[in-house]
Amino acid sequence: MPAVQETIDQVRQIDVDQYKYGFETHIEMDKAPKGLSEDIIRFISAKKNEPEWMLEWRLDAYRRWLTMDEPSWARVRYPKIDFNEIHYYAAPKGTTGPRSLEEVDPELLKVYEKLGIPLKEQEILAGVQKSKIAVDAVFDSVSVVTTFKEELKKAGVIFMSISEAIREHPDLVRKYLGSVVPPTDNFYATLNSAVFTDGSFVYVPKGVRCPMELSTYFRINEKNTGQFERTLIIAEEGAYVSYLEGCTAPQRDENQLHAAVVELVALDEAEIKYSTVQNWYPGDKEGRGGIYNFVTKRGDCRGKNSKISWTQVETGSAITWKYPSCILRGDGSRGEFYSIAVSNGHQQVDSGTKMIHLGKNTSSRIISKGIAAGVSDNTYRGQVSAHRKAENARNFTQCDSLLIGDKCGAHTVPYIEAKNSTAQFEHEATTSKISEDQLFYCLQRGIPEEAAIALIVNGFVKEVIQELPMEFAVEAQKLIGISLEGSVG
Amino acid sequence: MNMQQAIKMTAAETALVDAYTAQIGDLPGDGAVLSLRDTLVHELRTAGLPTRRIESWHYTDLRTLLRAVPAADASAFADRVEAVVPGSSVLAVRSGQADLKSLPRGVTARSYTESLLDGSAVVGLTVLGADDAIGRINGGLVRGGLEVTVAENVELEAPLEIQVVQSHGQAHTRFPVFFGAGSKATVIERHLSTSAEASFVSTVSDVTLAEGADVIWIILQQQGMADTHLGQIRFDLGKDAKLHLFVINAGGKLVRQEIHGKASGEGADLTLRGINLLGGESHTDVTFTLSHDVPHTTSSEIIRNVVFDRAKGVFQGKILVAKDAQKTDAKMSCNTLLLSDDADFSAKPELEIFADDVQCGHGATVIDIDHTQLFYMLARGIPENKARAMLVNAFVAEIVEELEDDEELVEALEGIISAWLEKHA
Repeated sequence: MPAVQETIDQVRQIDVDQYKYGFETHIEMDKAPKGLSEDIIRFISAKKNEPEWMLEWRLDAYRRWLTMDEPSWARVRYPKIDFNEIHYYAAPKGTTGPRSLEEVDPELLKVYEKLGIPLKEQEILAGVQKSKIAVDAVFDSVSVVTTFKEELKKAGVIFMSISEAIREHPDLVRKYLGSVVPPTDNFYATLNSAVFTDGSFVYVPKGVRCPMELSTYFRINEKNTGQFERTLIIAEEGAYVSYLEGCTAPQRDENQLHAAVVELVALDEAEIKYSTVQNWYPGDKEGRGGIYNFVTKRGDCRGKNSKISWTQVETGSAITWKYPSCILRGDGSRGEFYSIAVSNGHQQVDSGTKMIHLGKNTSSRIISKGIAAGVSDNTYRGQVSAHRKAENARNFTQCDSLLIGDKCGAHTVPYIEAKNSTAQFEHEATTSKISEDQLFYCLQRGIPEEAAIALIVNGFVKEVIQELPMEFAVEAQKLIGISLEGSVG
Repeated sequence: MNMQQAIKMTAAETALVDAYTAQIGDLPGDGAVLSLRDTLVHELRTAGLPTRRIESWHYTDLRTLLRAVPAADASAFADRVEAVVPGSSVLAVRSGQADLKSLPRGVTARSYTESLLDGSAVVGLTVLGADDAIGRINGGLVRGGLEVTVAENVELEAPLEIQVVQSHGQAHTRFPVFFGAGSKATVIERHLSTSAEASFVSTVSDVTLAEGADVIWIILQQQGMADTHLGQIRFDLGKDAKLHLFVINAGGKLVRQEIHGKASGEGADLTLRGINLLGGESHTDVTFTLSHDVPHTTSSEIIRNVVFDRAKGVFQGKILVAKDAQKTDAKMSCNTLLLSDDADFSAKPELEIFADDVQCGHGATVIDIDHTQLFYMLARGIPENKARAMLVNAFVAEIVEELEDDEELVEALEGIISAWLEKHA
């Protein structure tokens, strides 16, 4: 079956040793000494010129973190992380914060050029075909540049690094920071609350439809550093924003830690669409190196009829521990989760979502596609719950796994909890190779076998791919290497 | 382990340990059996009962839910009752003493107490893992039960009914049952109580099917509304063995029914059907794990739950497919009718798969009665309460009808289900 072979070959291409973004850039860095202590937190806070309340917030989180244990329930195994062997702050020298494009170190710009990230505003403007994308580029611990700020400002949209936002819009940050993921939420979120260094801040005012796609690009470059970014997106009443994050890291033998927190707040009738193309370095074929990705992402549909949609394409990281969730608090609110997780080599993925139905007439939809190859383990772990007052809560969940090779594992661990009799939950999961029934159905209708297999494999991920913003769908598909026809998107 | 030793024992934990200490001279078995009992009770004392922090007990925090345990009383076994299916051979277990009068041809049985006394029971007394609280409690306190062997190629005409009838106090029973190659049988394992007084029952059935055995095993749990029932069935399916396991929960206040199986011979097939009728303030948990260890094995599981009043229901199902178990075909579904706003139901259907050429799927739904179906019946002049009752009945009866080969059995089970629904709906 050549088409299957093609799929296998393409998945192999994204195999660990084929990592395209593994180059390292030598830039003079400003680093905090290794280790974690109150002094380091004071150091980070001072570097960022933060107000006193922010420092206190961090210190509270740190003291809480000291009393917490690392979670062990996920199906991932890794040697114990020594949190004192990490630099918690690393910034390209001379960068105190984002500024205009002209001032950015050309070496840095080259990095982004190499990664294919559009940082030059005019270039994009000149392009006839391309639509505009505003980018916030985060390099190790700091945001180096944010594009299209002025144009966005005209529309009333605030898009800047979170360090800037803490200085320029302290009231907004203070009101919403930690309101979705409290500083005490879990081990990694608490660590992040104590030491986060940068990330993006988005505020879309009432009734505004953000005029372009927003995106943040994360790059870990420096050795022995961890990246702890914090993203906060607020959509006021009736607002709409689509946001995309991408990430890469150099190829190294040692593991690096990435522990991010993302908080989304959608007020009445607002909609946030959050897409991730995660391509951290996955380690080599022996399982050496790679990023440990422990991420807490949560959206709060706080207002009535609000909507939050998570789309993720996960191909990188040695370990992925990530559960983008929706709290459906507002009546009539809706949460969506679309995910493709590809694991290869020694990668371990434990990912999924939580849909917490609190309000009346809330609905959610989960589509998760796992593809496991090599000796990897790919786990979907998700929770759907309806609380007593969540009348007419509605959920549909589908999680499918495709196994390529007999040394990998695919697992499904859903938690379904209904406390309201009017709730309607449907969950289905399958694990298989290509279904004989589907193949037979196609063959019977005169579609040649190879084309039929292509069709089925394409169909397997299509539901998720089509949820990505147009500009990234093609990119994501290339990344997955599953497309057999190259025409789905 | 220091933390575990520091636990403050709950009333129930103390009662269980006390029950052991009080009976220690009296419990059958010495030597290896006694020292194993000591170990199990020691583990219970140090680790305590499982809490929701133990993943397999996530929805049933036994430590909190088990408030009290009635004192052990050797006279608490009640008289035998009528068999579910007329004409069955009834093996009643009274105070550890099995009644072996009515054995059909080809079936041999002896009291499990004897195996405890002669030490041969020690092999099967082990626990399945660190989280096996039922195995631990039962292993520590077991007094009796039955060891049954169905000889090769024997086909039983009438069902074999194992009865544990309790009036109060505690009962800890074990049933190692071996089905010889090519044998065919229907076994009804039945637990019921004859009084409203609380009783505490733990039971472990250990079932082995040799090559080509074809068995229908029905667990009928009809305990009182104050009772605690901790049941476990372990099974091992040999080559081409076929087990149709049917679990009906229609009683009990706190119920945990564990089903742990292995498909260890090629061509083995499991059909699991479960009906959970939940009402009152009860908490019922059905936890199932099946390990497909070799290629070409199949399984299909359907669990139907009906939840009334303030009842809480749990289904945890885990299908494991081992690395070389290619061509496994496993399907699991769990459907729930949630009929009260104070009721709740949690499901955790897991798949854990290490082989690539397999077909595995699971589905889970939680819904109220389908309004279009209700409307259809109302439009035809059927009163609402009756229409509802018919729909609920149809929802569960569907899977009873799969046992169509034995009409008397289907009729008996349908009778039990209808009677329960009439009382609660």
